[in-house]
Amino acid sequence: MRLLPLMSAVRRLLTGAALTLAVTAPALAGAQPAADAADSGIPIADEAVRQACGSCHRADDQGRLSRISFRRTTPEGWQQTIRRMVMLNEVAITPEVAREVVRYLANNLGLAPEEAIPAAFEAERRTDDQPYEDADVHQTCTTCHSMGRIMSQRRTAEEWRLVTAMHQGYYPFTDFQAFRRSGESDEPQPVDYAVTHLTERFPLDSPEWSAWSATMRPPRIAGTWALTGHAPGLGAVHGQVTIAALPGADDEFTTQTRYVYARTGRQVERTGRAVVYTGFQWRGRSFEGAAEATAADPDGLREVMFVDRDWQAMRGRWFTGGYDEIGLDVALSRVGAAPLVTGVYPAAVQVGQTASLQLHGGNLATAVAGDLDLGPGLEVLRLSSASPDLVTAEIRVGADAAVGRRDLYLGQAALADALTVYDTVSRIAVTPDAGMARVGGVRVPKQFQQFEARAFHDGPDGEAETADDLDLGLVDVTWTVEEYATTFGDDDRRYVGAIDGQGRFTPAEDGPNVERSGNRNNVGDVWVVGTYAGSEGPLRARAHLLVTVPNYLRWDPTAVERP
Amino acid sequence: MNHMKHLIPINRKAARIVAAAAPPAGDVVALQQGSGPPQQPEGPHIPLGCSLAFQPGWEADRNGGTAGLCQPVERDLFDCHLGCYWPAHVPDQLNHAPDWTSKCAAAQKDWRKIDLIFP
Repeated sequence: MRLLPLMSAVRRLLTGAALTLAVTAPALAGAQPAADAADSGIPIADEAVRQACGSCHRADDQGRLSRISFRRTTPEGWQQTIRRMVMLNEVAITPEVAREVVRYLANNLGLAPEEAIPAAFEAERRTDDQPYEDADVHQTCTTCHSMGRIMSQRRTAEEWRLVTAMHQGYYPFTDFQAFRRSGESDEPQPVDYAVTHLTERFPLDSPEWSAWSATMRPPRIAGTWALTGHAPGLGAVHGQVTIAALPGADDEFTTQTRYVYARTGRQVERTGRAVVYTGFQWRGRSFEGAAEATAADPDGLREVMFVDRDWQAMRGRWFTGGYDEIGLDVALSRVGAAPLVTGVYPAAVQVGQTASLQLHGGNLATAVAGDLDLGPGLEVLRLSSASPDLVTAEIRVGADAAVGRRDLYLGQAALADALTVYDTVSRIAVTPDAGMARVGGVRVPKQFQQFEARAFHDGPDGEAETADDLDLGLVDVTWTVEEYATTFGDDDRRYVGAIDGQGRFTPAEDGPNVERSGNRNNVGDVWVVGTYAGSEGPLRARAHLLVTVPNYLRWDPTAVERP
Repeated sequence: MNHMKHLIPINRKAARIVAAAAPPAGDVVALQQGSGPPQQPEGPHIPLGCSLAFQPGWEADRNGGTAGLCQPVERDLFDCHLGCYWPAHVPDQLNHAPDWTSKCAAAQKDWRKIDLIFP
């Protein structure tokens, strides 16, 4: 325990805290809007919501329900609240009614695109670094959870105060851990500073929401979409998604998806279903080779995407895994009447070489070699095949072609920076540069960590990691795990797990390990090293990997996509 | 330990003392705080984003590694549970999982009976 001296003192307080809570929960639910919220608050017209929530959340004469009417958030945010009400406040609600409540609240007390996109990483379950503008508030809130939870909320001043009170009631330790500092100071306490900041930064009433809620409607997105994506470690995927409206619903859709991993040629077909909340928040789930869970694909891929305002594109992440750590970044472009090029493979070609180039997109069946313009130094020899979504071109890169990126034109279709011409591989890099895995497999799931190695050309300045560097894409490397010495006799490498040929690290099992000193778990710190067989000798790059303990709580909502 | 270069350990305990005092091969990150050039220019850090890995202490120690963690985690788990200490990582006895430990008298022995909780 990290704060041992505090523990016994706090434990003495816990009985008292439990008593406090018994008063706090109903009191919070029934809290009346304060003076500053007198003109705010969103009336709730839906009878199902008023039925489901109204026994605790009182309605006022303007149809506003206490607490609920003074907050806006994502479908995940509303679902998390309902789950808490079921778990801790013994709300009896069927899954069907809960879905309708989530849908009504996400649509009517939701976020505008400008508000939701900065917090997209929360719904997309990304684990890369997400800095926040205020370091003090960041510190206060992320002691326990993601800043994304907060960035996807809008509340009145009173509501921000009440939600911190909820934390203090349910988790009395938050005062010690984050909300209050010890010792004398004239500065406001961290929790008070945070409430002031959040009230100003994330208010209930915003011009973005006023504008969006006035124009919001279910998007008409049925049709054919070109899919491009990137699966870490596996590389580019290209394909097509056919979206059909579900009969009788204007915000629910079914999908047929097929795509190919460009590097390996592996083909995937998926069937899925999705709901679009608030006119732009796609939440879906798809299964490989079937419309439902199968033994081969029990969990499917959850789909979180955001539809552009012009209904011509959407982007997001599809993912699975015990910690949502396995997935791919995706972008969909609507296939209309005109030719469309969405991606090229390979995306880097070497001077003096010939290459077979795949152009993925839509409406490409009638393309001819004369339509394809790859820019100076690149000659199109012929098109060896042309289908609606794939053209294969044989090209030659001149020996004196300038190193750099090329825009691509195919008839009226264009793709900026589609192709990179290079002469040598200057270096490789392993990403992410800091990874995390969690032991598991016995009582809790493993958290895997996928690494990938990318090749780079240092660009005209010849210096690494400058703005003119050229990313040459994924390369095959030999993966090894090396010791990252943090203490004497560091033996982590022997126990933490193993990395496969595609750069996926699989951690070892959870539980104490009797072979290790002090029965340590199979946790540790290691370097993950990629070695590339370059033309002038091997190139190495490494990343830090933390293999650590599990979480025994799983927080993320998994049903907003309505499987 | 230069003054000990004429001394030769004659039993295993003495050999371990000598080994422990010997400078380690390569860099030892945890020993570099505050002196000499760091092994990594920016230091190891914990990826953040939407994961729950925020408070160095559960996933990582204050140096960003695992050497200083309470280990094995099962030894400490019930203390966290009773005290609501890591509310985003461990089910708390106060509200979310009052019976979490009922099947498991001592986590270090009975850890296979610990349940994952979906709050």
